[in-house]
Amino acid sequence: MVNILLACSSGMSTSLLVTKMEAAAKEKGIEATIWAVAQDKAETDLKKADVLLIGPQMRFMKKKLEKFGNEQGVPVDVISPVDYGRINGAAVLEAALKLIEENK
Amino acid sequence: MDRFMEVLENVLLPVADKLNNNRYLTALRNGFMVALPLIIFGSIFVVIANFPFLDRILSEEAYATYQNALGPASAATLSIMGLFVIIGIGYKMVEQRGGEAIYGGVVALGSFLILTPQVVDGVGGVIPTASLGAEGMFVGIITAFIAAELYQWFVRKNLTISMPEGVPSAVSRSFSSLIPVSITLTLFLALRVIFSFTGFETVQNFVYTLVQQPLTALGSGLPATLLAVLLIQIFWFFGLHGQIIVNSIFDPIWYALNDQNLSAFQAGEELPNIVTKQFIDTFLVGMGGTGMTLIVLVLIFFVAKSRQMRELAKLGGPSGIFNVNEPVIFGLPIVMNPLVLIPWLLAPVIVAAVTYFAMSVGFAPKPAGLIVPWTTPVLLSGYLATGNNIMGAVMQLINMGIVALVWFPFIKLLDKQYFGEEQNI
Repeated sequence: MVNILLACSSGMSTSLLVTKMEAAAKEKGIEATIWAVAQDKAETDLKKADVLLIGPQMRFMKKKLEKFGNEQGVPVDVISPVDYGRINGAAVLEAALKLIEENK
Repeated sequence: MDRFMEVLENVLLPVADKLNNNRYLTALRNGFMVALPLIIFGSIFVVIANFPFLDRILSEEAYATYQNALGPASAATLSIMGLFVIIGIGYKMVEQRGGEAIYGGVVALGSFLILTPQVVDGVGGVIPTASLGAEGMFVGIITAFIAAELYQWFVRKNLTISMPEGVPSAVSRSFSSLIPVSITLTLFLALRVIFSFTGFETVQNFVYTLVQQPLTALGSGLPATLLAVLLIQIFWFFGLHGQIIVNSIFDPIWYALNDQNLSAFQAGEELPNIVTKQFIDTFLVGMGGTGMTLIVLVLIFFVAKSRQMRELAKLGGPSGIFNVNEPVIFGLPIVMNPLVLIPWLLAPVIVAAVTYFAMSVGFAPKPAGLIVPWTTPVLLSGYLATGNNIMGAVMQLINMGIVALVWFPFIKLLDKQYFGEEQNI
């Protein structure tokens, strides 16, 4: 079971990605909870997540969120702009799983 | 070119970081978020109260009764939105630092009310609603910042009454904020008294005259608007969320201008402002996302041959209808793509100028001051934002035509390039 948190300004455009990532996870037989939040909720939801991915348009939040991530032991990264534009759920899921794996 | 882009991004990224993470701007942005549900509730009832044709179907008397019955819905929310914004800012200011946030909210509200004149036309014991809406916006925001800071400072200085052991924690908590709240409010009372001896008479009047009026006058003009729009576009060109950065500065001005229009709209008077929150949201950004890209997708659908671009149109179309356009921005891509830089910057500038001109000569109605959620689809949003006026939607149609014209040659160029690449594989 993995918990993947996505964050952007209002959690609107990252939620586009959530459905695609869920489909990709199902296809691979991975049990995953994936959800998207607005930036002000990212800090509180971080505790429930195994990884936090930020929409590239909000990449200036990374420094601040990384600090919270380090405290909680949750890896934080920015989603690749290309994958974001194509709403490539499989690739972003892959990146998330890799981050979780490396963090173990 | 690449080198130049790199340098520019290295400048913009820290700016975005500073503005987005600034304590005050964060509280301001989140404070408006707190007020938003009430603002939208009020807006919905302005729409319902002004349904088209009702004034012709109903008798004059019945129509007046109908409007009067619904009036309080917006009068108690949208028209006095300053109140909710102030509570939101005070709350968020204290929450950021882990204090008891609700006291931040009430101390901000209390301080603001202390500064507010409590007399209308010689009648005492009343609070003029105008001071709680557009006119009080800036003094409210500034007061909320200062009151929350003072409160926290007094709490940190440990100016609290400590209770002996055995007193229930809820009781001691209620006392712990007593002194910080009291001193903060006393300071604002002193400020009010001091100002009563000046020519301004009230702090409200002082801030309104010296801060709000000059700023809103500047913000309501076309040059400042074009600057804001260009900044938003430039930030997005580098893949940074432009509105989050620019709006946190412009929102107080745009909301204040918006509220002025609302009062005029409800009084049946001439609307004073063209540039308002809704001018930006409905006629510029809200036409299928930042940069008005929904129509660009439609254009692609009609003229593009490249598989890549047609895929993008299908992928980005559904979310574009609701003004979410990150797939276009990162997928076309617009980010760092010199081929689309010209239409990307030019189209919004032309549309802003044309809309401004059309509204100033009365061809299109000015925004009526209600707030339409930014995810409302184009045409519907133009109709609603102008107070149920079909010409608002017509204006949006014209603007989409302009965007399509500006983008057409560049889409052709981009398509030729992508199509050629696809053939060579």
